[in-house]
Amino acid sequence: MSRQIKKGLLHLLPMLVLALALGISPNSEAKSASEDADDESERGIVLRKDRECTDCHDESSEYPILAIGKTKHGTTADSRTPDSCKSCHGESNDHLDGETTMPMPSITFGKNSKNPIDERNQICLNCHQGGKRMHWLSSTHANRDTACTACHQIHAAQDKVRDRIAQAEVCFACHKEQRAQINRPSRHPIREGKVVCSDCHNPHGSAGPSKMIRDSVNETCFSCHMEKRGPFIYNHPPVQENCAICHNPHGTTAPNLLKVRSPFLCEQCHEPNTHQSSPATLTGYYRRNTLARGCMNCHTQIHGSNNPENIRNEEVFQR
Amino acid sequence: MKQRNIFHLSTIAAALIITMPLETLGDDTIKQMTKPQSTIQFGAGYLSDDNARFGQFNGLRDEGAYGIFNVDILRRNDDSGTWFKIIGRNLGLQNREIRLEHSKQGNWGYSIEFNQTPRYEPFTAITAVEGIGSSQLEVPTTPTTGNPTQLKTEREAISVGINKLLPGNFELNLHFRNEEKDGSRIFGRGNRLGAPSPTAVGGFEFTPEPINFTTRQFGATLDYTGKDLQVTGGYHGSIFLNKNSALHINGGSDVGGAYAPSNFSPIALPPDNQAHQAFLSGGYSFTPTTRGTLKASYTRATQSDSFFPTQLSTPGIGSNLGGQVDTALVQSSLTARPLPKLSLLANARFEDRDDKTPVFLYNPMALELDFNGNRWSGLNQPRSFRTWNSKFESSYALPMNFRIIGGIDYEHWDRTGLPATTGHRSTTDEISYRAELRRTLAETVTGTISYIHSDRFGSHFLTNRTATGDPFFNFIAPINLADRKRDKVRLSINWEPIDPLSVQVMIDESWDNYGHRAGSDLGVQKGSARNYSIDAVYTFSEAWQATGWFSRNETFLDQASLTPAPPRQLQERWTVGLENISTAFGAGLNGKPTDKIDVGTNLEYSDITDKFNQSVITNAQTYTAPNINFQLARFRLFARYAIQRNYGIRLDYILDHFKTNEWTWNSNIPAQNWVYTDGTQLTQDRSQLINFVGFSAYYSWQ
Repeated sequence: MSRQIKKGLLHLLPMLVLALALGISPNSEAKSASEDADDESERGIVLRKDRECTDCHDESSEYPILAIGKTKHGTTADSRTPDSCKSCHGESNDHLDGETTMPMPSITFGKNSKNPIDERNQICLNCHQGGKRMHWLSSTHANRDTACTACHQIHAAQDKVRDRIAQAEVCFACHKEQRAQINRPSRHPIREGKVVCSDCHNPHGSAGPSKMIRDSVNETCFSCHMEKRGPFIYNHPPVQENCAICHNPHGTTAPNLLKVRSPFLCEQCHEPNTHQSSPATLTGYYRRNTLARGCMNCHTQIHGSNNPENIRNEEVFQR
Repeated sequence: MKQRNIFHLSTIAAALIITMPLETLGDDTIKQMTKPQSTIQFGAGYLSDDNARFGQFNGLRDEGAYGIFNVDILRRNDDSGTWFKIIGRNLGLQNREIRLEHSKQGNWGYSIEFNQTPRYEPFTAITAVEGIGSSQLEVPTTPTTGNPTQLKTEREAISVGINKLLPGNFELNLHFRNEEKDGSRIFGRGNRLGAPSPTAVGGFEFTPEPINFTTRQFGATLDYTGKDLQVTGGYHGSIFLNKNSALHINGGSDVGGAYAPSNFSPIALPPDNQAHQAFLSGGYSFTPTTRGTLKASYTRATQSDSFFPTQLSTPGIGSNLGGQVDTALVQSSLTARPLPKLSLLANARFEDRDDKTPVFLYNPMALELDFNGNRWSGLNQPRSFRTWNSKFESSYALPMNFRIIGGIDYEHWDRTGLPATTGHRSTTDEISYRAELRRTLAETVTGTISYIHSDRFGSHFLTNRTATGDPFFNFIAPINLADRKRDKVRLSINWEPIDPLSVQVMIDESWDNYGHRAGSDLGVQKGSARNYSIDAVYTFSEAWQATGWFSRNETFLDQASLTPAPPRQLQERWTVGLENISTAFGAGLNGKPTDKIDVGTNLEYSDITDKFNQSVITNAQTYTAPNINFQLARFRLFARYAIQRNYGIRLDYILDHFKTNEWTWNSNIPAQNWVYTDGTQLTQDRSQLINFVGFSAYYSWQ
């Protein structure tokens, strides 16, 4: 660990202690605000004007809503946040006027919603269309009728998909193949929450393929594997074209996230010249192509070499 | 493991809910339900056994006690909208992370984060190589029995972010991240100890690569968010620094003379490099139903790390590569709903990666035959390419909540470069047609069925030639360049037969048919993939819910080549049918038997088999590759008891079993184990079973 990082950690520890102290101490500012009974009754419970709704929708209701007060949407000091439940759910006059039967609010977001998904998503886009969501409407998620609320929990104190530990579980609700792949022996630390889906993909759409966060697959991989970027004196062409020609980042049985084990992976491109076309074997001379690092036992610089020394490098990547 | 260490605030909040009408609740209760809450969790756990897999990324590798410490501090000043957060995860473990955020919502904010990620090599090296972790290795000259050595890398990153809202709907964002990655990983050198021959033995030495990397990413964006127009412009920079430019290896076997791998030193290590990107991205809503977006970026990536001193470098090549790759990207899209029932999407993308690295003769002896009878160009080989992607899609609403969708995708690659030891074609094109029928908004059954057909083709393959100008095989169409026809069917159904039960079924199958070089039937032939899954959720009551799922994933790929038996006329065709078969299932139960107790349990099991189905005529008994199987079973259980509303205790239990017959480094047959020329061997425990028990307490406050 570098000294700089150690120093950084040492600086973080006092912050943590200070924050604990701050956090445990009474929140005097919040308390003084809540003591102002008149203001509180005007403001509603969680939003600026929510009394019409929170009179019924408490935590004993079939549709509890109060936890939204713990979220950014419930931060009423920010003038951009919704004034009332109607900001998202519409005027809902029939719902408010109902006595014996209770029609649904004008706009609902649950699984039995009658509102078209475009209409529901537009409610969110009215405020959240810029920045990282710029390309939403042209994304595959939008064009496969994915509702914002299919992934996001608006009323929960902690939106599951924005929690690094829980996020993959949300994505796996649809992406079943990837759910199986992350348990393969060669994998990214997705189970541990150290690499999560949104580290590589922008689910709201991007200019890259497969909603990559950067403009290409390779640029995205280089975010963490910058040593592969080069350019090198001797470049291995598929490395520069697309990492995914050889690797499956979601998990594989072959080492190093390789799609197929050596020598078969290499033989998907390389001509049958002498040793480079051997079948797999655990014995004999050509076990060197199969065991240990396989072809990379000799061609160790498979991503490219920057060695100016002029032997055994061009096209053979041995140095 | 980490999942069990996390204290889920939402669950705790649920535990604290009081089911009473609001008007009867006191201020404290309402505050508890509506204001952010802080929680700390602390305790200890015990790991029953040493292991390599379960602890690969969290450090829980060695039997013994570990600390449990998680913290969520959330404070909000309701009057000003100012947040103060500290989120700490796994602070008692090696994969710890902690993030501090301070912001005035809608005005300004900053954050600082520390993140640590270990990666332990799952194989243990028994080696006498010295200097591991440094750029100076000492390799035994004869096979030598060594000591167990654990290779490991660790990433430690510090990130800082700042944002400020500006007048006129502008927002400024700044970010910086510094990551140090240190340790060592498996690496080696090797060569055939003689002229080309199927019986030439090889020499191989274990030379772990030292990892002392620094990566930095930084940038700034300025966002404008208006009602119809949104624009983001900015800069993103990234720098890679490697403290070691070359691996110097002393010793090693000299068997093989001029062919001995001991001649291979120094070996280059990844060079320092950097990239700088300017970009502009925008979206404009022309009407409520018509929107266009555009992104343009220009990136300059350079690599000018100084060459390390060598004995045989060529005069005139300069002190560094002078590498420069400029990439321009333009992407635009238009979405519209010209009729209430009709939606249209058009998308176009162009990327030009121009490798401007100067070309020099790095090997003036290249045109002379080398040991193997090969000649080379001696030049460095910059590669450039351009890609065009376009997409058109339309969807039309039908009665009964059905929608029909049709789309066409087109991709074109244009590459520079010449064929060498593999085939090369300058351009490839792929066109895909998609038809889909989808049903949404129905109460009982929703779903999708789609069919995609794609066809990849391209320009003619350039002829590979030997040093004497003769054609060089020209049998294999590389998998990423070969003609390919692909058909794919996908079906997904969401079914709610009764109110508490929901079922989800997904099936997809695809079939690939690859084309070959003219006059050849070698290379990849046919492939297919099948994925089936079924998920079910049953809600017994508000307090109890059960989940279950099953997945089956199968991939198949046939490929063929010729045995390595010069002279060439003795080469024989051989084939493999590569299969990857995975069966996995999971089940979970979560419940709340009393107001004070939460329990949850989860079981997952995966069985994955690689089959090779190798078919060789001559020496069939030698050319065998046994199936490889992996099994992973994991059982997790937690129970939480709330002593009071705001504090309680928690018990976690994990059972994890990893089992394999993998033969990559070692197997059940010692004679087949891989042994480096220096005597190094890599081993793993083929059956790893661990139990982890954690006991912790939590305290919450507002």
